[in-house]
Amino acid sequence: MNHVLKSTDSLPSPSRLNALIRWVTRSIQKNLNSIFVVLGFFLLWEAAVWIFRIPPFILPAPSTALSHLLFPRADANYRWSYHITSTVLAIGLSFVATSTVGILIAIALAWSRKLKEIILPAFVFINSLPIIAIAPIILLWMGYGVFTNMVIAFLVGFFPVVINTITGLEAVDEDLLDLVRYLNASKLQVFLKIRIPNALPYIFSGLKICSTMSIVGAIVGEFIASDRGLGYIIINAQYSMNTPPIFSSLILISLAGALLFTLVSLLERILMPWTALEAEP
Amino acid sequence: MKLLLRRVGYFFLFLLFWQVAVMVLGIKEFIIPSPLKTLSHIFQPTLAAKYQWPLHIQATLTEIMLSFLITAASGNLVAFLISWSRAFKTLITPIIVFFNSLPKIALAPLFLLWFGYGLLPNTLIAVLVAFFPIVINTSTGLEQVDEDLLNLVRYLGATKGQIYVKIKIPNALPYIFSGFKISATMCVVGSIVGEFIASDKGLGYLLKDAQAFIDTPTMFACLLLISLLGILFFGALSLLESRLLYWMPQTTGGGKG
Repeated sequence: MNHVLKSTDSLPSPSRLNALIRWVTRSIQKNLNSIFVVLGFFLLWEAAVWIFRIPPFILPAPSTALSHLLFPRADANYRWSYHITSTVLAIGLSFVATSTVGILIAIALAWSRKLKEIILPAFVFINSLPIIAIAPIILLWMGYGVFTNMVIAFLVGFFPVVINTITGLEAVDEDLLDLVRYLNASKLQVFLKIRIPNALPYIFSGLKICSTMSIVGAIVGEFIASDRGLGYIIINAQYSMNTPPIFSSLILISLAGALLFTLVSLLERILMPWTALEAEP
Repeated sequence: MKLLLRRVGYFFLFLLFWQVAVMVLGIKEFIIPSPLKTLSHIFQPTLAAKYQWPLHIQATLTEIMLSFLITAASGNLVAFLISWSRAFKTLITPIIVFFNSLPKIALAPLFLLWFGYGLLPNTLIAVLVAFFPIVINTSTGLEQVDEDLLNLVRYLGATKGQIYVKIKIPNALPYIFSGFKISATMCVVGSIVGEFIASDKGLGYLLKDAQAFIDTPTMFACLLLISLLGILFFGALSLLESRLLYWMPQTTGGGKG
């Protein structure tokens, strides 16, 4: 991406906007290639299922999975909108909660050196553990329901956000800090004007990890015990060896994931417009 | 070293606080068991005999190790091919990126459907979850080579094989190890979730089983053992890394200070 911009910059009279448009079209072209490959993959899958007559309970064709989603079935009639709402709610709310609480706690930890020294190593340690294993205990404490799944998703996504945010808050040019301290900046000013803007790229990479983690947490929560949600459908369909709804759910979960990721990226572009013009870090 | 001691100190302080809190506040064992109660479920012979710890630990450990070996081998191979062949790269990268963005753990029930219960599906679930971080890390590492250095050795008539053996692979080692570390945790997660969903042995199975009986001390004991497995594995990889990559500056620990 970097060299694309540079090459347009060296052209006779390229305006900034022109370069941006060029960059956007180039990146679309680049992604078009990938989209074709992925589409090709699905076409191959579809063709393989038809040609080799793979029974749908082993591997349904993508079209079969889609048709389960779009048309009501006599054999496996799931109320899709009900389950989608439940999962999307769990993912969305836990993501918002995780990112808000995670960022605030990270700021609090970066604010107080003492607190950070005690808590941060513990967080880094916990982050290296398979946190998802705590899910059955949460379930035991809180019973079934959307809220339980939210808590599981929260716990899974929380530590990456905190650790990334703190890393960003700390990764500040020391000379800059010395300068503003010399100019009598208050601690609050240092945070608002320097540390937090500086942490934004780190925060967003934490949020992107968290967006995937929230989904994993919510789905595993629904796997373990739930009476609704896409994870519940997957488990339920697995028991009855009805594979197409599993794939329909997977399509929906992937879509939810892609949507959340896109929203985070969009927010990133809005809050950090300069990344569109600069090279990637 | 002093820092580490202090951290261990904090940890034991936390455990002591927990123990005292449970005893003083009279928290019921099935809500939060005390640390001692949890340990007694593992170490007290009469109590521990009920749970067949060796069987479950062995099952989970086998899954983790097997899945890690498969992941490490196949992930690095795919990354190597991506780096070696441009055609392979254009064809496979979009698919890898696409699958990496999916919540792969959601595929777990499918593996049970395809492969039945037991070691095989759980191992494969773990492989699926841990595979992509390795591919992405290793292929990043193989790309991150100083262009001038490459030009120099090309000028000196180095073959592609030599470039890989002498420059690209040694250069990628730190990336490969950071991929290993991510995927070590992922292997544990994958195995445990596989055991949650359907299994007849393993720590994840026991955790889920104990939940049905509201046997919270056993659940905490399982959690403890799972964490220990994860830590030991992670630690072993870090040790191997520091031995193999002794020329790299140490970056572990609390940064500067």
